Amino acid sequence: MTKEAYILVVDDDPDILENIVTILETQPYRLATARDGKQCMKMLEQETPDLLILDLLMPRMDGWGVIREMRSERKFDKVPIMILSTVVEDASRRRYELETGMSMDVQEYIQKPARPAELLRLVVKLLNIKEAADFEIG
Amino acid sequence: MDNSGFDSVFDGMDPRVLITVARLRNSEIFAELDEEDLVSIAGFCREENYQDGHIVLVEGQPANSMFIIERGKVALEKKVQIGRHTTPRNATIDYVGPGQIAGFSSLTPPYLYATSAVCTEPTRVLYIDADQLREYLREQPKAGYPIMLKMARLIGFRYRGSIDTLTYFLSIVSHELRSPLAAIENYLQTMLGGFAGELTQKQDKMIKRCVVRVTDLRALISDVVDLARMRPEQIQADFEWFDPGDTGTESIEDVRLAAAEKNIRIRVAPPAKFEPIVGGHRRLRQVFTNILNNAIKFSPPDSTIIFRAWYEADQLIFEVEDEGPGIPTEEMDEVFKDFFRASNVGDTPGMGLGLSIAHNIIEAHNGEIVVRNVGDESGKTGACVRIVIPRNLMTPEMRKREYAKDLQQIEQ
Repeated sequence: MTKEAYILVVDDDPDILENIVTILETQPYRLATARDGKQCMKMLEQETPDLLILDLLMPRMDGWGVIREMRSERKFDKVPIMILSTVVEDASRRRYELETGMSMDVQEYIQKPARPAELLRLVVKLLNIKEAADFEIG
Repeated sequence: MDNSGFDSVFDGMDPRVLITVARLRNSEIFAELDEEDLVSIAGFCREENYQDGHIVLVEGQPANSMFIIERGKVALEKKVQIGRHTTPRNATIDYVGPGQIAGFSSLTPPYLYATSAVCTEPTRVLYIDADQLREYLREQPKAGYPIMLKMARLIGFRYRGSIDTLTYFLSIVSHELRSPLAAIENYLQTMLGGFAGELTQKQDKMIKRCVVRVTDLRALISDVVDLARMRPEQIQADFEWFDPGDTGTESIEDVRLAAAEKNIRIRVAPPAKFEPIVGGHRRLRQVFTNILNNAIKFSPPDSTIIFRAWYEADQLIFEVEDEGPGIPTEEMDEVFKDFFRASNVGDTPGMGLGLSIAHNIIEAHNGEIVVRNVGDESGKTGACVRIVIPRNLMTPEMRKREYAKDLQQIEQ
């Protein structure tokens, strides 16, 4: 990465946030957190992140709401999104989430509790794709 | 009070009967009956007063009386027994108060009380002899019909009430219990990964124990939630194409830590090549994980578990074999029942839901799950669980297509 990547992490559970931050802090990333969809939208306006890690079930505005708004706005429609979801037990529900996510151009889907190594692997992967894309555009 | 019918029917009647009629009218099921019927029914009613704690009726006993609660409160209870060896407990499923009825079961076959009823306060009831009431309603269908309608409605209410409670309970269990657990698991994994500083050997060991226990707890929550939505149609609705080899690998990953802890080796004997099959991917993973976990729990340290799979005609067969104590022969038939725990399990933790859930899942696959002991004269012991899954199952989409084809053929 030429410059340090800016990652926004959104979850209504402060413990999940702290955890993910603890894991990502070990890497040269710039991190910010939001506790719900509305706060997330505000922070997006201030600075466009290189990656958004997003919980689905949140108060005020849920993760789907954030994704819908982002994908309908040109300046956010290329931000890679990783959904961070609580374990979904039922296969039809999980399929629904995966398919809806894919149709909205969500790149990755990780289930809580996320293993640190897996989380880091996916973050690196998404940032690399983003960098390659930026390079092509740039 | 309505006096119009009073003159004709009630003229010269014992005032005590009149009072009973008025009291019957205050109850939820007799409110709309004609005076004539009420007078007759009053003939087999009497007032009774009970102390707090009095048992009004007993679950499973012949139902020959019904009670209108006039004052106080009555708890409806059901006996709950977890496992065959534990003391049964009473669980309160509802309360009834003034105007409400206890002892519906006395009006419908098989005439056995579905719950027990216990006074939780000093209670006054109108006791009704149900044999006589039934006889009367049979002879007077005009009175019987509205009462049966009312009863059907009341039963419907109670039924819907219990479904609502169950749904609510399940959503609480699945989300509210799982979320904090996910947070705990995350912290533990983060610490184990060394992201919060280096751990001493002792800390590392303790945190690994935490992970194992938390994983068990998560599995238990899933099991309890699943048990309630384990109808075959629900399982079949999730059927999809998948690689059974992946499922096996995932299950082994699920139990890796628990196995490592007892230094148990899981030896895998897969077929030369796994072919995709239709089934409940996550459900089968749950079956394998449950069975592997079970095997690990009952295996001695440093032993080996064999996890093998092979194809046979139109079936895929899996086996999990351990070196544990096996299952007492006389309990073989019981192992797939809810909350069953063999008598030789000692302190091994668990609720005994794992195998019964596995059984339900495999049944929904039209498959077979059996357990046998693999001990021999040399003193070797062990249990072997065999799972047979047919290879002709259909996804919901395939079933829909089949159905459409059938329809077409019928039309032609």
